[in-house]
Amino acid sequence: MSGDGTAAAQMPGRPATSGVIHDIGYRGYDGPRLGRAQITRALCWHSLRSAFGFGRGAKAKIVPVLTFAIMCLPAIVSAAVIAVSSNHQRMISYDTYLPQLRIFVLIVFIAAQAPELVSRDLRSHTLPLYFARPIRRLDYPAAKLAALFLACLAMIEIPLLLLYLGTITQVRGGSAIWHETRALIPGLLLGVAWALVLAGLGLLLASLSGRRAYATGAVAIFFFLSLTLALLLTQIGEQGQGPAAGGTSGLARLAGLLSPFTDLDGLRMWLGGTTRGLIPSPGSYGPLYGLMFLVFLAAGTGGLVARYRKVGVA
Amino acid sequence: MSNEDGAGPVVGPAPLARSEAVIESAALTKRYGPVTALDELSVAVAPGITGLVGANGAGKSTLVKILLGLLPATSGKAAVLGYDCATDGHRIRTHTGYMPEHDCLPPDVSATEFVTHMGRMSGLPATAAKERAADSLRHVGLYEERYRQIATYSTGMKQRVKLAQALVGDPRLLLLDEPTNGLDPEGRATMLELISRIGTEFGISIMVASHLLGEIEQICDQLVAIDGGRLLRADTMSSFTRASEVLLIEVNEGGEQLRAELDRRGLEPVPYQKALLVRLAGEETYDTVRDAVADLGLPLSRMEQRRHRLEELFRGDGTPALETTGAADVR
Repeated sequence: MSGDGTAAAQMPGRPATSGVIHDIGYRGYDGPRLGRAQITRALCWHSLRSAFGFGRGAKAKIVPVLTFAIMCLPAIVSAAVIAVSSNHQRMISYDTYLPQLRIFVLIVFIAAQAPELVSRDLRSHTLPLYFARPIRRLDYPAAKLAALFLACLAMIEIPLLLLYLGTITQVRGGSAIWHETRALIPGLLLGVAWALVLAGLGLLLASLSGRRAYATGAVAIFFFLSLTLALLLTQIGEQGQGPAAGGTSGLARLAGLLSPFTDLDGLRMWLGGTTRGLIPSPGSYGPLYGLMFLVFLAAGTGGLVARYRKVGVA
Repeated sequence: MSNEDGAGPVVGPAPLARSEAVIESAALTKRYGPVTALDELSVAVAPGITGLVGANGAGKSTLVKILLGLLPATSGKAAVLGYDCATDGHRIRTHTGYMPEHDCLPPDVSATEFVTHMGRMSGLPATAAKERAADSLRHVGLYEERYRQIATYSTGMKQRVKLAQALVGDPRLLLLDEPTNGLDPEGRATMLELISRIGTEFGISIMVASHLLGEIEQICDQLVAIDGGRLLRADTMSSFTRASEVLLIEVNEGGEQLRAELDRRGLEPVPYQKALLVRLAGEETYDTVRDAVADLGLPLSRMEQRRHRLEELFRGDGTPALETTGAADVR
């Protein structure tokens, strides 16, 4: 290139060639090539970034940034309150966080971002380009599922970690820190269960349509409707029995199975969670909540496998 | 080659196995229920630019899917770059670039971002993917536009991006499906020129599927013609051209005499209206005809070279006898 430049400079009649792109001919690539697993990982990372709007325009960042900020806000407020109050007591539980807020924010996040991961490629027919590359057909949904799982995990766990950090910096003594850590761990594990179920179901619903609005609608309607139904039936069950009767009816204990969120709440109580949540404790129906958790998991992943087996290749 | 899962890194281009052919199939058959999409297709495609011609529904896209290892054949075998399509699909796809017929570009990213991502998906490390994306886009003639969102591109520019994403992984074979679709005449000419350049200057073998024979015959070294899933003919372009060139000879009298004489000299003349047609094999055909006419002392009134278009050969409305005397199929 520099040779061209000097030659041009020496020739007075010729215009300067700076800025002209010279065709230097075709260069092959002899370097290492990534294997299937590494390509899948690259796709997962790319999708995880786009779940938070990175590598996209400013508009794409609005929903993920806003929802993430709202999720973290209570943890930050909690840290501030603990710092100024005298008894250094944490007001928010690790295993439920703020249930209503968390559910609402997660539904908005998944409804907006799951289509970002899968509907775009369906809409613009980009899938055949992926399938014509070294990865195999099911590597694509696997990478997308892993990406949305990690995105949900970040949405759930980072606020918990902030809450934890805000608390342990204020408490005194190793035993107090140990106590906090022991309280945090079940919260983190439950967060994993939440992320697994929500990512699987959210991605499956989003992959049903290439039209983004429909995909968002499908996700939002499923999660909101099932939750409303579960809470409504729980309430009816509780009213029918009444607190005076000294017990909770079967309906109130079983209605929670209908929604992924109430199922996760029931699962938490069955596994020993004592914080009051969305629904009454499932009692002896606990194993059903465990089973339903597995059913939701299987429906999400199995549905995705079936969906991407069927989709056209070329 | 038994490592089908391909989890580990694949280093460098693999050597062509045994055969020189980039694509080879033997009795390749694909049936969808009662419908036969490919019927005992046996073909060997040498390096260079190959046209895959056939009407819509002839089995072109089924063949492409099988070659990429995305669709199992019902019976028969196929190999690309020496790799078995049934078991080594991921290796084939590592070294093959595919440009689909339909629109396949996301509108809301720039060509640079998109082609870089597709380079990663072809197995390039991040830095190499960036470099090769820039190179590929330059080769297809996209410069400053490549930073704009794809939604703002013309059809011609989109076709170039589709070609660039196929080229980004430094393939040894390109499969292009109807690359001139939707382009105006000027755009078609540019695209064909580009394909020709990639094939000749870059040394990448190319198979171009098209239903427009007249268009791709200009740039191909060889042609594979299929119809109803069967191989019509596969041969080098030059033998297609040779087969399509005929010499028309007209004498004022003694036509039958001349016919017998030319037949004796091995030219297999065919009557055509009041004249005779012989296949033009080269300069020596002229000499043979001249000698035959001179020896018989006949008054020669007309001798002209005619070129039958390739389409006529396939359609069968050329001169029938000549059509069947073409070079043997590569079976």
